[in-house]
Amino acid sequence: MLSPERLALPDYEYLAQRHVLTYMEDAVCQLLENREDISQYGIARFFTEYFNSVCQGTHILFREFSFVQATPHNRVSFLRAFWRCFRTVGKNGDLLTMKEYHCLLQLLCPDFPLELTQKAARIVLMDDAMDCLMSFSDFLFAFQIQFYYSEFLDSVAAIYEDLLSGKNPNTVIVPTSSSGQHRQRPALGEAGMLEGVEASLFYQCLENLCDRHKYSCPPPALVKEALSNVQRLTFYGFLMALSKHHGINQALGALPDKGDLMHDPAMDEELERLVVRSKLHRTSRQHRAKEPGAFGFQRREKQEALERVSSASVPTPYHYRWEPRE
Amino acid sequence: MGIPPEREDVKQQVLYLSQITMKSHLLESPISKCPLYLACHHLKTERIQRDWERQGDAGSEGQKLTVCPIINGEDHLRLLNFQHNFITRIQNISNLQKLISLDLYDNQIEEISGLSTLRCLRVLLLGKNRIKKISNLENLKSLDVLDLHGNQITKIENINHLCELRVLNLARNFLSHVDNLNGLDSLTELNLRHNQITFVRDVDNLPCLQHLFLSFNNISSFDSVSCLADSSSLSDITFDGNPIAQESWYKHTVLQNMMQLRQLDMKRITEEERRMASVLAKKEEEKKRESHKQSLLKEKKRLTINNVARQWDLQQQRVANIATNEDRKDSDSAQDPCQIDGSTLSAFPEETGPLDSGLNNALQGLSVIDTYLVEVDGDTLSLYGSGALESLDRNWSVQTAGMITTVSFTFIEFDEIVHVLPKLKIKFPNSLHLKFKETNLVMLQQFNALAQLRRVDQLTIDPQGNPVVNFTLWKYYVLFRLSHFSMQKINGTEVTQNDMIMAERLFGILAHVASSELPQYRLISILGDARKKQFRYLLESKGKKPGIINEENNDSKRLVGENTNRATLNYTTRDFYNEKLEEIKEKKKFCKTYIEDLVKEATEINMKNEALQKLWPQMFIELVRDAVIEIRNKNSYMKLCLQQITDQK
Repeated sequence: MLSPERLALPDYEYLAQRHVLTYMEDAVCQLLENREDISQYGIARFFTEYFNSVCQGTHILFREFSFVQATPHNRVSFLRAFWRCFRTVGKNGDLLTMKEYHCLLQLLCPDFPLELTQKAARIVLMDDAMDCLMSFSDFLFAFQIQFYYSEFLDSVAAIYEDLLSGKNPNTVIVPTSSSGQHRQRPALGEAGMLEGVEASLFYQCLENLCDRHKYSCPPPALVKEALSNVQRLTFYGFLMALSKHHGINQALGALPDKGDLMHDPAMDEELERLVVRSKLHRTSRQHRAKEPGAFGFQRREKQEALERVSSASVPTPYHYRWEPRE
Repeated sequence: MGIPPEREDVKQQVLYLSQITMKSHLLESPISKCPLYLACHHLKTERIQRDWERQGDAGSEGQKLTVCPIINGEDHLRLLNFQHNFITRIQNISNLQKLISLDLYDNQIEEISGLSTLRCLRVLLLGKNRIKKISNLENLKSLDVLDLHGNQITKIENINHLCELRVLNLARNFLSHVDNLNGLDSLTELNLRHNQITFVRDVDNLPCLQHLFLSFNNISSFDSVSCLADSSSLSDITFDGNPIAQESWYKHTVLQNMMQLRQLDMKRITEEERRMASVLAKKEEEKKRESHKQSLLKEKKRLTINNVARQWDLQQQRVANIATNEDRKDSDSAQDPCQIDGSTLSAFPEETGPLDSGLNNALQGLSVIDTYLVEVDGDTLSLYGSGALESLDRNWSVQTAGMITTVSFTFIEFDEIVHVLPKLKIKFPNSLHLKFKETNLVMLQQFNALAQLRRVDQLTIDPQGNPVVNFTLWKYYVLFRLSHFSMQKINGTEVTQNDMIMAERLFGILAHVASSELPQYRLISILGDARKKQFRYLLESKGKKPGIINEENNDSKRLVGENTNRATLNYTTRDFYNEKLEEIKEKKKFCKTYIEDLVKEATEINMKNEALQKLWPQMFIELVRDAVIEIRNKNSYMKLCLQQITDQK
């Protein structure tokens, strides 16, 4: 913890790098907003809870987009929360449209901008037929790249376009936010016979970019790996490669590997408990409504549910709790 | 027949004439009753007649006359009879200027002509010929009977000068309408049977008309013969064989409109019939008035709904235009709003269906067409247009409000509906079925707002105007979020146990995360917000009773108890949300400056601390040195201390 590098940085830089101020400001703001409620149980406890939730990654739930986007840690937490909450949708095998995914995002963050979701969808669909259905894992990984590295990607888009039009890549490039990606389409048309740009040249520019700017970029070594086996690439091809690269995913640390995407035993257990509870709740409601033969039905349901749960739970520490009580 | 016995010669002639009339079909025409006809003299017709008869008895057609024979020396002839011949043209009779009766029944005459000198003619029988046009009757001013039945006449014309005409027979012709009857001041009988007449006019200009026969024509409504009501002289009329006679309202309508009638379709009208007629007619009037009112109302409703629809479309277009302007060059997203607009517009074409002229006039009296519509139809309350939401504030009678089980919203933004849901909950406690059409439901989140209602059994979200229905998972989300309602039906399909389980499976984790992983203060603040809103509404609403408030408390407690894990999934409308964010901006600014100050302080202190850390060894050494130097000379030090003590006093 007390690494020498940490002590070597001057105060403001250190605070800025760790985004400590963002969290402090947000904490105080939350305190002000919920003054009456919080005053009931003490400010110290509030701060404890707040920073605990920051550590656990639950602080971004149902918060406004400006906060969710504010720090890399927030972004990672958001991605992780999205994965955990809607993994079941993916597991169910449903293919959804971009708008539906956007809806799901909005459930967690009410003012999440459509633009970001659209950009993520473009990566998956390779900028084609925006109404197509996408699988959960495809969308999630593409969204991860787009959301976490959004500023980086904007600059990359500008660089790509410059390379396409033949400009000198080593001049200073100022990313012009979203317009960069919009100018893509006419440029692609003019590309002529060869699609995209040369991989090595492209990589050089990226390296310069990473050196120059402070916002997070994917580790250059991994980017090089992603570009290693192609001669030429298009913008979306590059993004797709990034999103599929395991190393980058692991470096981010938000989501598990693609293979494990649908696995979350702790949550699955929780889910089973909820399903059982809802079934009981529904049958008890029916019983209240005086439907015939309720008793036998009810008891059978309970037994069934218990049996099902005990079979579904793969070895977990809570296995023994589900033995039927004799 | 009332002829004095002295006039034997007349009697003979009359007998002879009557035989002739019996032979012909003229029974149809009451010409036999014409007194003038009976009283006319004729000389020497017998001879002509006899000649003719001999020819006719021979039995062969070749012996029939094909032209009018020239008759010389008979200038006093009064009666002339050319029945049953093949005469094609009326000629060679101009010298018979004393002729009173001319009978050309059953010939092949195609044109009325050659009659211009017969100024005394009173009876002209041209039945069963091939006459196409009534003409050349100008000089026959004394004409009393004109018989043109069985011809090909299409139009009544050129008879307006016949002011002595009493009987006009136009049966079995091709007349399609009756008019141009003015000037026939003596007409008492008009026979128009077996034509194609659809309407009748000018009959009220006939001051003496008593008998009118319209059997076997094409009259279908009383309006087409409305002039008959104005004819005070009519006492006998026939309509049988017309479409109008098949109508249920035929008899009493005719009787009601023509009080002067004594005989209808050859049957006398009794007092009883007249009474029945007036009673029935009154009932008809009532019914018509009612249906007129109903159709007016319906029309108004339709216009209002159309108006609301048009305003809605305009509003959507405006929003879409703003969106496309902000969205710059993104062509994909620009297409979608236009497509949505296109489909909604085509669903509401300008309906210019045929309106009764009466209705049209009545509606133009309505100066303002409303921009919203509230309709209560038994157990359904329908609201069209956002203005309708205010109607929920009205004083609804407990009975009406209690009967409402279905509430339908059309052409209203869902965000606006969200604000009135608490009112709905209180005023219409039995509303269990909600329907939404053209309400701009676009996000799953919006369904969260429905959780605050007491209970919903059925939900119908019409795909028109509600893009959310296109999502694969929308039903499951509704079932998940509103699981405490135990809904029976969504969009008409029953909700099965499997659906509920699936919904729970898909979104259960979301609920779990939303409840167990949120820090306590956030839980309280989110839930607290909802409860605070409820209380605020209760305090604002008129006529609050303590009972209601307790009920609310219990309700919310029950809700929270059942569903804490998803109670945090709320929906704030976009406007409210933006408002809240605006409010927070001030606080954020303050926090920023506050923290900055804190940081400044902290860094200053830190700096000072670090500086102290660096300088301390040196400072310590100097302190020690100073002390040692001071104490080196014991005597002077002791003096110095004493001095200090005395100074202090």
